[in-house]
Amino acid sequence: MSQIVRSFAPKVDQEKCIACGMCQLYCPESTVKLNDEKKVIFDYRFCKGCGVCANECPVGAIKMMKEGEQ
Amino acid sequence: MYNEEFDKYYNENMIQGGTTCCPGCGGPLFWKLALKVFGPNTIVYGDGPCAMCALRSIKVPYYGIHFSFVADGATGISAALRAKGREDVTLISSAGDGATSDISLGKISAAAERNENFLQICIDNEAYMNTGIQKSGLTPYGAWTTTTPTGKESNKKDIPMIIAAHKVPYVATASVAYPQDLARKLEKAKSIKGFKYLHTVIPCPTGWRFDPAKAVEVTRLGVDTWVNPLYEIEEGVLKVSRKAEAKPVQEYLKAQGRFRRLTEEQLIYIQGEVDKKRDDLLKNDGKQVIH
Amino acid sequence: MSFTRMMEGNEAAAWGAKLVRAEVVPAYPITPQTELISTIATLIADGTMKTEYIKVEGEHTAMAAAVGASAGGARVFTASSSQGIAFMDEPLWIPPGRRLPIVMCMVNRSMAPLGGLRPDHNDSMHQRDKGWVLLYCENSQEVLDTIIQAYKIAENPEIYLPVAVCYDGYFVSATATPTTVPDQAKVDEWLPPYKHEWYDLMPGSYKMPPPKSFIQQRMGLAEAHEKAKKVIKDVDADYKKIFGRGYGGLIEEYNCDGAEAVLITMDSMTGTARDVIDEMRTQGKKIGLIKLKCFRPFPREEFQKIAPKYKAIGVVDRNNSFGSAGGGIVAMELSRALYDVKEKPLIANFHVGLSGTDVTMNQIRYMADETLEAAETGKIKHVIDWVEAHDLGEVM
Repeated sequence: MSQIVRSFAPKVDQEKCIACGMCQLYCPESTVKLNDEKKVIFDYRFCKGCGVCANECPVGAIKMMKEGEQ
Repeated sequence: MYNEEFDKYYNENMIQGGTTCCPGCGGPLFWKLALKVFGPNTIVYGDGPCAMCALRSIKVPYYGIHFSFVADGATGISAALRAKGREDVTLISSAGDGATSDISLGKISAAAERNENFLQICIDNEAYMNTGIQKSGLTPYGAWTTTTPTGKESNKKDIPMIIAAHKVPYVATASVAYPQDLARKLEKAKSIKGFKYLHTVIPCPTGWRFDPAKAVEVTRLGVDTWVNPLYEIEEGVLKVSRKAEAKPVQEYLKAQGRFRRLTEEQLIYIQGEVDKKRDDLLKNDGKQVIH
Repeated sequence: MSFTRMMEGNEAAAWGAKLVRAEVVPAYPITPQTELISTIATLIADGTMKTEYIKVEGEHTAMAAAVGASAGGARVFTASSSQGIAFMDEPLWIPPGRRLPIVMCMVNRSMAPLGGLRPDHNDSMHQRDKGWVLLYCENSQEVLDTIIQAYKIAENPEIYLPVAVCYDGYFVSATATPTTVPDQAKVDEWLPPYKHEWYDLMPGSYKMPPPKSFIQQRMGLAEAHEKAKKVIKDVDADYKKIFGRGYGGLIEEYNCDGAEAVLITMDSMTGTARDVIDEMRTQGKKIGLIKLKCFRPFPREEFQKIAPKYKAIGVVDRNNSFGSAGGGIVAMELSRALYDVKEKPLIANFHVGLSGTDVTMNQIRYMADETLEAAETGKIKHVIDWVEAHDLGEVM
């Protein structure tokens, strides 16, 4: 299986997060979602680090970190 | 850590996470939203826009022939479904902008004329992106592509209106930046028998030259500036979906590197064209526009 | 109920499509195929055929729609000629590459610009590299029977090749001869419904062939052609047993006993050639006739086996291959087939009937005489003999 190569990866500040679900709605790769406890989780196997989730988050709870630092 | 949960999620979404599309491509986003509406009892027939990389990841039956056969294979599959008594299956036919406006325009026109029973979707990233960003008939005026390095000199074809002129039951434009509106339109299309057409301009960070993170934001601006207005034509009656005040087109164009070289005159021209189209749409909102 | 009446080739083909219960027919009209599809339209309109005839806007679309329908599980039939076959050249690669058992009629017509509406064989032979089975028919009856046989061949899971049933425009397509239409129930029994073992597009049972490399797929396709030779013969033999009519499958040796030279013909001119050969036999000339029915897969082994019997073979090529190694397409195929045969006959090659000119009895006599002369003298006069360039008179 080929590897996803990323320069950046998303990281969420759960304190700031309001569980609105915008990140899940707009992620092109379906690699971010709210789990049953309404916490934002990422699938780092397949996330490409495009940054749409961070850009769409209305409260800036998601930040793009350098790959490896998420 | 969350592998199992995500694997289950991908199956429910009917699309695998991590397509081979570029980061920020609107293609997989469109299919993620659309498949929720179509459901598992769907066959997707599609061809090769690069957003088709997403089609490699969908988890509903898929069949394709190359892009000079837009709507053709779907025509055949539609007949096979009738022959096999499976008209319950939702048939989707997908194409990129190059195929839709250029090489297969005749095919789509003919399928519309025959009132073929499927939803024809144009995934419009506004150039032949798969082959390295060449101009298509749906590339907007003034846009840089490798074959229009000084900016495209001709206008973007108005495919939705061309198809509407075929008197098909349903034509709509939609956007991944307005997912509820998109879902509503797909739901309506799914419920109609006959030829349906949906046109959606999707963001291409690679070809339009902007930071992938802004993909949805740029798409939203395209709608909010009325460059890509949202409307439906159902049985020939126009319904404008979003009537908010238009933001200046400058906001949309300046956000993309492909419009970097636009002159003042060109900006004025583009604003003028967008204004005319907007006025036309608002004037005819609710009216029978196809006779 | 089986019935017999005068039928033109196109009409017979439509009845063939009816008897096999073709489910989807995507087709576009082109002379000299038009009566085929208009007959299908009529048979559907009067309830005889339960088929969906998709009136597509061009041949390019017709073959692509055929691919979609066939992969989608329907038995597909279509037809075209000349320019139309050329226009569908792009999608014509797909059925053999994807092993879809589509059957189509190629109603031979010469290609523009060096041709008009009447037949020669370039339009169908031009497809010889793609992987289509190419079968040629002499008259309406053979067209009808071959279409039924074609589906049995195509849908054999060891084969899964598309089949083109070829016949000359006008000389077969529009010439009425007595044709027996077999009983539908009998055909139903002989030809079961279509179900591809590799493809299923339906949600819930979605299946596609396992991923194989291109080289594997290509070799599989080539292997299918090798296997098809026996299948074609067996299907014909079985058809003859059940329906009473057979054509030999790959080739037919006609009046060849004791012949020193043979003529190879294809398609409609074979009918004329039979009469000429019979006549020449009564004159004591040792000339026979081989009808080449199956051009792809080329019956290499059959020819290798029978060639040593003859001193010369006259190959009649109703086609051109400009700039070729020598002469027409069939002659070149035969030369390769016989290259390693120790006792191989001379090959006399003739072009006749090009661009749809009539092939007259005089011309066949000429070609037969030339071949006999080659058998006698042990010498070939021309690499290729353009028969129409000779003044042989107009009528027999």
